[in-house]
Amino acid sequence: MDILYMLIPLSVALAIVIGACFGWASASGQFDDLEGPAHRILDDDDRAH
Amino acid sequence: MAVAQTIRAAGLSAFYERRDAPAASLPRDRADESFDAAASEAVVAPIDAVQGETALLIEGLRCGACVWLIETWLARQAGVCSASVNLATSRARVRFAPARTDVAAILRAIAAVGYRAHPYDPARREAMVRKESRALLTRAALALLAMMQVMMLAAPAYVASDGVDAEYAALMNLASLVLTLPVVAYCAWPFFAGAWRSASNRILGMDVPIAIGVAAAFAASVWATLQGEGHVYFDSVTMFVALVLCARWLELRVRERAGDALEATARDASPTAQRLTGYPDVKEVETVAARALAPGDVVRVATGVTVPADATVVDGRSSVEEAILTGESRPRAKGVGDRVLAGSINRESPLVLRVDAVGEATALRAIARLAERAAAERPAAARLADRVARTFVGALLVIAAAAAFAWTFIEPARALPVAIAVLVVSCPCALSLATPAALAAAAGTLARLRVLCVRPNALETLSRVTHVVFDKTGTITTGALKLVRIDALADDEALQLTRAMALEQGSTHPIARALVEQPSPREPVVAHDVVAIQGCGVEGTIEGERYRLGRPAWSLPTTLSPEDCVPAAGEIVVALADTKRVLATFRLGDELRADMPALIASLRNAGIRSSIVSGDDPATVADVAGKVGIAAHRGAASPEDKRAFIAALQARGEVVAMVGDGVNDAPGLARADVSIAFGNAATLAQWTADVVVPGDGAQRIGRALATARRTFRIVRQNLAWALVYNAVAIPLAALGWLTPLAAAAGMSASSLAVVLNASRLRNAKPRRTAAR
Repeated sequence: MDILYMLIPLSVALAIVIGACFGWASASGQFDDLEGPAHRILDDDDRAH
Repeated sequence: MAVAQTIRAAGLSAFYERRDAPAASLPRDRADESFDAAASEAVVAPIDAVQGETALLIEGLRCGACVWLIETWLARQAGVCSASVNLATSRARVRFAPARTDVAAILRAIAAVGYRAHPYDPARREAMVRKESRALLTRAALALLAMMQVMMLAAPAYVASDGVDAEYAALMNLASLVLTLPVVAYCAWPFFAGAWRSASNRILGMDVPIAIGVAAAFAASVWATLQGEGHVYFDSVTMFVALVLCARWLELRVRERAGDALEATARDASPTAQRLTGYPDVKEVETVAARALAPGDVVRVATGVTVPADATVVDGRSSVEEAILTGESRPRAKGVGDRVLAGSINRESPLVLRVDAVGEATALRAIARLAERAAAERPAAARLADRVARTFVGALLVIAAAAAFAWTFIEPARALPVAIAVLVVSCPCALSLATPAALAAAAGTLARLRVLCVRPNALETLSRVTHVVFDKTGTITTGALKLVRIDALADDEALQLTRAMALEQGSTHPIARALVEQPSPREPVVAHDVVAIQGCGVEGTIEGERYRLGRPAWSLPTTLSPEDCVPAAGEIVVALADTKRVLATFRLGDELRADMPALIASLRNAGIRSSIVSGDDPATVADVAGKVGIAAHRGAASPEDKRAFIAALQARGEVVAMVGDGVNDAPGLARADVSIAFGNAATLAQWTADVVVPGDGAQRIGRALATARRTFRIVRQNLAWALVYNAVAIPLAALGWLTPLAAAAGMSASSLAVVLNASRLRNAKPRRTAAR
């Protein structure tokens, strides 16, 4: 059971890394438009926008 | 500090007692020089001869005290009539006398008390909304992530039959603490800020119990972790924060969508225009900014291009889509002499237009201003909901304290969990979200229909309407004459019509327009030496022969028997004659709106009665009423009669909506419980009504009534749900039958239920009511 002493801090550290990644993604605007990109992929004209 | 001196000197030092956040200082020199530049983009809408109104976006608003300070301070400035600041949208509406002050002076005045103001600009609002939405999403997602981790760490304590070993329990609690800390410190920050803000204004907002619950549970858990004994509630805290944030994010998205639909009208119609200089001699095209156009300019609008200004067609024939103004995507035919409005899209072929009105004077901007004003004011229903929620929060704090106090005698160890459960389970969110969520969703639906509720309480009154009174001309009918019948007394109809069209070709009289609009039945002929005789008709020469077209008595009285020219109800008869005899009579009538019968039928299906009141002669009104299927009608009514008619209905207990063209029915519109201006979007600037429905499409009135009814049905459902939920859940929690975790789940579920119920309004397809 001593392994818990490694696993639990590891999972906490991992959660913090994931949280930081999400914070960065959100701050760079990746979640601003949740619908547009789904339609944009059907748009053949790559120059638009 | 200059700002502080200004505030003290003005005797507004009470601000320092009210405010709850230190102000960010504003670099004065930088601000000073930018005022005039900023003011030049400001939009001042004239209210009447002496007053104007402008919308400003204010940065740095933190609390109710800021709102109070700015409103009070601005109202004291010379020339400022009134100012209202909306904390939620950071928008200020300032009414002032342009003769006595200007926007730059107002911006300077706002800066003097420490805020930065800009002319309201949709792009800036969008940036602010995006920032808010981004921050909320980040907070909600991080709280969800932490919640999952903390749940896993809490699971062993729930499943282990004989408890977890103390050393591992301590480790797990410590890990939970590390994961919960950012949730409390960062994700839950808006609740603490909100609670502090309301507490310092001595108002009980719904953030107060949330903040107390989170803080108490977290503090107790930290204490238990450090002491190594007692219960920890990290799982409850993270779950509670995550779910409340999710509910708020959903609510923000509903509100944003409603805002987006309104913003569509606020954008500029078209950034550029193609001006024809020297028209009609030289046709030289020059591309200029649409703002640079002036009335009288001639512009060319290519196919698929947005019309840059309100204008009259001088050349070309096309169909134009006015969806941005009227919500109706079916294009309307436009020919020479017709008006086209800024924002509409030219669909078929190029048009040459003479500009009538630009920028702020266009119908599009008038609609946008109405929409902005409608969005800025809060209906009484929403204010009432706020007051109820506040009382409720107060009662809730008392109940939680009482429960905790009682439990210290029964079982001291459970006093804290019970108090937390009471605070958390209760649903001030559902209670205070019930009304605003439904109103926001309804605003979005109505904005898509281009129905504008200008007065804040209009929607509520609309939902109770039992009787709709219609004006006739311009409302039931299009207000334009239309050729109904031709009686040829010599030769054939086509020939006579061709002659009549030739005579009327150059005229702008409504009768002439009705004749000229007809598709030409044969090769057109040309009339020479046409003279119009005021009040009688026109006279001209076609192929050597002299013709008259006009009032039968004038055209040629002797050969026409009187019966031929008796106009039927609501009709006008004109006669075409050569020098010897009458050749044909033309009957013209006021055309019914095609979708009126369907509207009346759908109102009847909804249990709403209709009647027509008009100034026209009773026979005409009866005829029109019969055609659209309205039983109650009244003709030859003066404006005062219309008012009395409505008052009589109200005396019978009816809630009356008056539908008119908004220009001529002032007494009736003012007397009705709710007034609806409907019709010609071009005259919109003169409209004074509670609800504005620009353009054609009468069905939208029926849909607006249906939406209003559904909205308030949903508000009632939401309030009932919130009350029943609280009535059941709070006693359960106070009696100790709910753990804080179950309380958090219940509270969030009930908030989400309310928001999702409201969003049904947005998704609901307009109900297709059969005509019969």
